[in-house]
Amino acid sequence: MILPISGPVRAPLVRLLRSELRWVLRRPRTQITLVLLALVPVLTGIGVAAAGSPVGAGLLTEVAGNGLVLPVGALSICLTLLLPLAVAMAAADALAGESAHGTLRGLLLAPVSRSRLVLIKAIGVLAVAVTTVAAVTVLGIITGLILVGPSGSAHGLLTLSGTEIGPGSALMRVALAAIWTVVQLAAVGAVALAVSSATDHPLVVLATVLGGLIGFGVISAIPALDWLHPLLLTTGWFAITDVLRDPMPLTGLASSSARAGCYVILGVTLALARTATREA
Amino acid sequence: MTELAIRVRDLRKVFGATVAVRGVDLDVPAGAVMGLLGPNGSGKTTLIRLLLALSRPTAGTVELLGAPVPAAAGKVLPHVGALVEGPAFHPFLSGRDNLRRCAAAEPLLASRAIPEAVDRALIRVGLADAAERRYRAYSLGMKQRLGLAAVLLTRRRLVVLDEPTNGLDPAGTQEVRRIIAELHADGATVLVSSHLLAEVESTCTHVAVLDRGSLIAAGSLAVLLDGEAPALDVRTPDSVTAVDALRVAGLSAAATSDGVRVELAGTEAPAVVSMLVGAGVAVHEVRRRRTGLDELFAQLTEGDGR
Repeated sequence: MILPISGPVRAPLVRLLRSELRWVLRRPRTQITLVLLALVPVLTGIGVAAAGSPVGAGLLTEVAGNGLVLPVGALSICLTLLLPLAVAMAAADALAGESAHGTLRGLLLAPVSRSRLVLIKAIGVLAVAVTTVAAVTVLGIITGLILVGPSGSAHGLLTLSGTEIGPGSALMRVALAAIWTVVQLAAVGAVALAVSSATDHPLVVLATVLGGLIGFGVISAIPALDWLHPLLLTTGWFAITDVLRDPMPLTGLASSSARAGCYVILGVTLALARTATREA
Repeated sequence: MTELAIRVRDLRKVFGATVAVRGVDLDVPAGAVMGLLGPNGSGKTTLIRLLLALSRPTAGTVELLGAPVPAAAGKVLPHVGALVEGPAFHPFLSGRDNLRRCAAAEPLLASRAIPEAVDRALIRVGLADAAERRYRAYSLGMKQRLGLAAVLLTRRRLVVLDEPTNGLDPAGTQEVRRIIAELHADGATVLVSSHLLAEVESTCTHVAVLDRGSLIAAGSLAVLLDGEAPALDVRTPDSVTAVDALRVAGLSAAATSDGVRVELAGTEAPAVVSMLVGAGVAVHEVRRRRTGLDELFAQLTEGDGR
C-alpha cells in the first residue's frame, strides 16, 4: 500500500468562501451591474423630482413628497427584472460559466467536494443579491434625502395610509424591504443555480430566468389559471409596498417569504443532485 | 511486486452509442513516468478524466495511490496534480491571482504558505515576470505554463499531464521535460499523454498506447522500443554488395532505398558492421531500427496528417 494518506483532506471553508467572494465581486460584470443598478434610484429620484408636484396616487408620485419612499420604490422597480437578471448572471457564471471555462475542473481536482462546491457557489450568488440590493437601497436613501428631504413638517415617512412614522422606524422599514428583496432574489438565485448546474452554457441560465419571469407574468394575468397563482414566485412581489402602510400588514410579506424559501430549498436540492453526478 | 500508483481494471466509458474507453487494464508503477500515447480521439483524455473522477466510468475500477476512485477521491486528489484538457483560468484575473484562487482550494496548503507557494510555482515555470499581467493577455505558451504552475503548488505524489506541450515552443517543450524530470527525481509518479512519440521517448520510463479506446500496448519503454525483432538500418551506396556479403554469412538482409536492412537474429551490431567493412562496403551510417512501438505508432497515426 502506498497510502495511508495523512493530513487535512479539505481546504478551510472560510478560505474557500473568501476566495469565491473575491472572485465574484472583482469580476468586471458584477461591478458594472452594481453601478447600473445604483443608477436606478438616482435616475428615478431625479425624474420624479423634476416632474414636480404629485399627481394621482401611485407609489412613485408618493416619492415626490417623501425621500424614504424612494429606496422602496426603486427596489420594487428593480425586482421586476433587473435584480433577478443580476442574480441570474451570477448563478450562470457560478457553475455553467466555470464549467464552460474549464475552471470548474480545477476546483473539483483540488479537490473541493461537490456538495461544498454548491454551498460555496450558492453563497457567492447570495453575495451578489445582497450587494446589488444594498446598492439600490443605499443610493435610494441618499438620493431621496438629498432630492426630497425628509417629508414636510415631521421628519419622518409619510405612509401610503396617510399617517406619519418617525425616521428611525422609517429606516427600519426600508431595511425590512431590502431584506425581503434579498430573500426573493435568493429564490431566483437558487433556481438559476439549479439550471446552471445542468448546463455548460451561461446563456441558458439567463434565458430560463427571463423566460420564467415573463411566463409567471403571463400566467398571473390569466384568471382561468388562478389556481396556479399561489405557486408563482412573482405572485407575492407586490407585498413590498406593505412596508409603506401603517399599520404594516405582515401576511403578504410573510407568505411571499415562505414561498421564496420553498424555491430556495427546491433550487439548492436540484443543484446538489445535479452537481453530484456532473461530468466536468 | 512493485507498488502501483495507478491501477485500472476493465475500465469502460460509453457516451450514448460511442464507446470512448473499452475495457482498459493499466498498471502504472509508483515512481514511473508513464507516457500515454495515442492518436487524437483515441480516448486518452477520457481515460484521464475517468482516473481523476471528473467523469464516472460505465464499468470497471480505478485505484489511485492505492485508494478507490471516485469513492475516495476526496482523500487521494490532494496528492494529485493534474493539467487536463489544457489550462483553464479566469481571463480578468492576473496569473498570480488565478494561482491564488487555485491555491485556496488546495487542501494540503496551509493558508499562511499560500503566497510563497504561488511565488515558487510561478518562478518554477518561468512566469514570475508576467505574474501581474491578466491571464487574458497571456500567450498560449504562458497559459500552458500557468497550468503547470497550478500542478506544482504543492508536493504531489502523482501528476497527470494531458498534452502538456501543446502550444509550447521548443524552449517551452524543453522546460516541460525538465519539470517532468524534476518531478520524477522527487519520487512522484507522472502520467503524461501525448500524440508525439518523440516526446514520450525522451521523458518516459514507461509507455501505454491507446487506439480507439483500447490499450494495445503497455510496459517499460526499453522493452517496447526493442520489440521482438531488432534490426539495423545501414546507409550505403553499395547495397547489392552488402546484401550479398551478409547473405553469404547467413544473415537475413534486404536492400532498402538508401542501403540495407539487416535482421539482428543471432548476431550483434558490431559483427555486422565489421563484416560489411571487410567486404569493402562503404558504410555511411548505421542505426538500430526500432521496432515494436515505433512501427506500431506509425501505423496508428497513419492518415492522421503527420
